[in-house]
Amino acid sequence: MSRHYEVMLILDPTLDERTVPTTLENYLNVIRDSGGSVEQVDVWGRRRLSYEIAKHSEGIYAVLDLNATPEAVKEMDRQLSLQEIVLRTKVLRRDTKRSVAKV
Amino acid sequence: MPRPQRYPKRKRNMLLDANVTEVRYTDVDLLRKFISDRGKIRARRVTGLTPRQQREVAAAIKNAREMALLPYPGKPGRL
Repeated sequence: MSRHYEVMLILDPTLDERTVPTTLENYLNVIRDSGGSVEQVDVWGRRRLSYEIAKHSEGIYAVLDLNATPEAVKEMDRQLSLQEIVLRTKVLRRDTKRSVAKV
Repeated sequence: MPRPQRYPKRKRNMLLDANVTEVRYTDVDLLRKFISDRGKIRARRVTGLTPRQQREVAAAIKNAREMALLPYPGKPGRL
């Protein structure tokens, strides 16, 4: 079953921001090959980190919107975290049913 | 002699003030209003949120911390 996922990445700030989308393509193919789809790739760009991660005080943030199976996302996350240019990843399922802030 | 009547200050809901429909961990500027200068999550006493909203704000802050968008509690000045 395919689900909607949101994946946030922090990449090594020494990378060139413009090369980020192409770098990510390889990993996005994991999703596509499994029949999922990549809805959106949003590169936030360089941002100051609230605390140092692996001696870096900034990082390049990217947010992916995916429709994919849990297995495909898990595999992509695994491959990404093996990369040294990826400082951190976070995979979330966005729950749309509970929309909340209203009283 | 009649006791002077006290009117407790009406708490205001900080989320309602901000007029948002969904609390997202990516919304750093909003979440910053819910942490102290030491990085601690503000109590419901202060935020005036409903229990459910408070949980969601707290969860969002914790997610944002994991992604270094917000600081962990500690000495001020790292914000």
